[in-house]
Amino acid sequence: MSSTILTPNQSLRCILSRAQRLARATPELARYGILLAMTMLTLFPLVWVVSSALSTDTGNIWHFPSAFWPTRPGFFWFERVLAEIPFGRYLINSLGIAIITTVFIALLAIPCGYAFAMINFRGKTPLLTLLVITLMIPSELSMIPNYLTFSRLGLIDSYSSVIIPNLASAFGVLLMKQAFQDLPREVLEAARIDGAGEWQLLWHVALPMARPMVATLLIFSFVQSWNDYFWPSVVLKSREKMPLAVGIFHDLTGPFAVSTGMILAAVILAIIPALLLFALTQRFFISRNAEN
Amino acid sequence: MAMPGVHQRHAWIMASPFLLFFAVFTVWPLLFNGWLAFHDFHLRTGNTLWNGFANFVALAEDDSTFHPAVKNSALFLLTVPVIQICALALALLLNPDKPLLGTFRVLFYTPVVIAISIGALVWRQILMPDGMLTWIGATLLGVDMQQMPDWLNDQRTALWSVMAFFCWKHIGYYMVLYLAGLQAVPKTLLEAATLDGANYGMRLRHVVFPAIQPVILLSTLLCTISALRAFQEILVMTGGDADTQTVPLYVFGAAIFGLNFGVAAAAALLLTLVCLGLAWLQWKWLGEDGLLRRGL
Repeated sequence: MSSTILTPNQSLRCILSRAQRLARATPELARYGILLAMTMLTLFPLVWVVSSALSTDTGNIWHFPSAFWPTRPGFFWFERVLAEIPFGRYLINSLGIAIITTVFIALLAIPCGYAFAMINFRGKTPLLTLLVITLMIPSELSMIPNYLTFSRLGLIDSYSSVIIPNLASAFGVLLMKQAFQDLPREVLEAARIDGAGEWQLLWHVALPMARPMVATLLIFSFVQSWNDYFWPSVVLKSREKMPLAVGIFHDLTGPFAVSTGMILAAVILAIIPALLLFALTQRFFISRNAEN
Repeated sequence: MAMPGVHQRHAWIMASPFLLFFAVFTVWPLLFNGWLAFHDFHLRTGNTLWNGFANFVALAEDDSTFHPAVKNSALFLLTVPVIQICALALALLLNPDKPLLGTFRVLFYTPVVIAISIGALVWRQILMPDGMLTWIGATLLGVDMQQMPDWLNDQRTALWSVMAFFCWKHIGYYMVLYLAGLQAVPKTLLEAATLDGANYGMRLRHVVFPAIQPVILLSTLLCTISALRAFQEILVMTGGDADTQTVPLYVFGAAIFGLNFGVAAAAALLLTLVCLGLAWLQWKWLGEDGLLRRGL
């Protein structure tokens, strides 16, 4: 084309192709537009928390939109939190409780899931039905009887009273049963014919093959225990035994309720460990290749 | 299937440690609750007395606290369709292999890993009378700040605010369930449908939804139960004030403050039955032979 003047035919084609390109791009634009809007809706509280906690001058933290950028940034509020709240103590409690709970959930659920998946025994079907039914019933409702049990045992205000009621995870057993069922039968049968006992089969053959599901179980259990608020707040009376989710909440709705800066800084400190764990493990449950 | 060398007792040995804890801390409380629902229980002396259906009659007549709690629990069920539709829509948007979608997945999941109590601390700041939401509303919509409600203390808005917090906290969880389910939709079927000229809506209706029917069932079931048991979310946001008390909160109030364990257990038993009933209904509607498989 030598000149910039187009024939009607050419210009029509030009417009059409542009419209086509636009029409093809529109769904994609809409996709990212919706996602962006939803992200803002989901994350604006957290963005506000971060920027306000980093503001040494809290004069601006209620003003939209200037609150979404720190005013005179600094770590003043974080220093005050660490000085006035036994944050390290809470953190150690949270870690200890969550790790012990997770390990024992796995130790109980893995052999039981294996038995349900691999061995036929009398009473299997009713037991499985019972497991599924308990999943359908709010577990909060068993807290009063459990509280009575523990107060009779004299274990109120002990770590064991926080941990023990959460150890029997019906969800964990069903998850592991599913994982073992999906393993290739031939490998297991071959090992059985070679004379491996059931425990050997579980430990050396089935468990290594079901590793991704075990990881899923560990992560879910850990996060759940880490975030649990109500039951620990009921059975724990002394402050030095409280995990983060309980201790921080009590401190920040009690003695420090008036200091917004401290509340927000403490919130960030409490969220960081959970986010860190999530960042390290997210490929297990969010990535597209989770199945492989 | 005959399994030489495998004895039933192996299964029992392997299952018994779990079953022991399960029996003591999951099954026993349920049975104890059921038994308690028909008794008067005196904590101080430990005496119990069969009282027939008196506890249930007390519930039926208690229109100052129990009836509002039932109404609030029923309203809370409205979060189920909201959460399910948002989660499924997000999963559908995030499923393709496109740039940045992995990051979005992580962002939407963030509220799930934050403890309820910690998340509530944030939202209580946002929803204060002169909090962030009021400021945003005043700036963007030009509403007078005095006109904005006191979100968590006003009877008209408190329950809805808590429900919004509930959705914020849980959508990511169900999104991940749906993402996992969408992996299982056969690619070949989708391609065949496209070749046959099916548009996006038809592919959803005739290929995707039938394929993820088990996930829709599971996710809706779990969400319904978590809405009915909504308890911690309310406790940390309003403590049950401003007409936000639900049935689980009523149970605890009756037991811990009223020391009326029989009535609490009766309310708990009713809630359990409603949960099982709803689970059964959803099984009928969304299960193997339900609407998604048979067609609407």
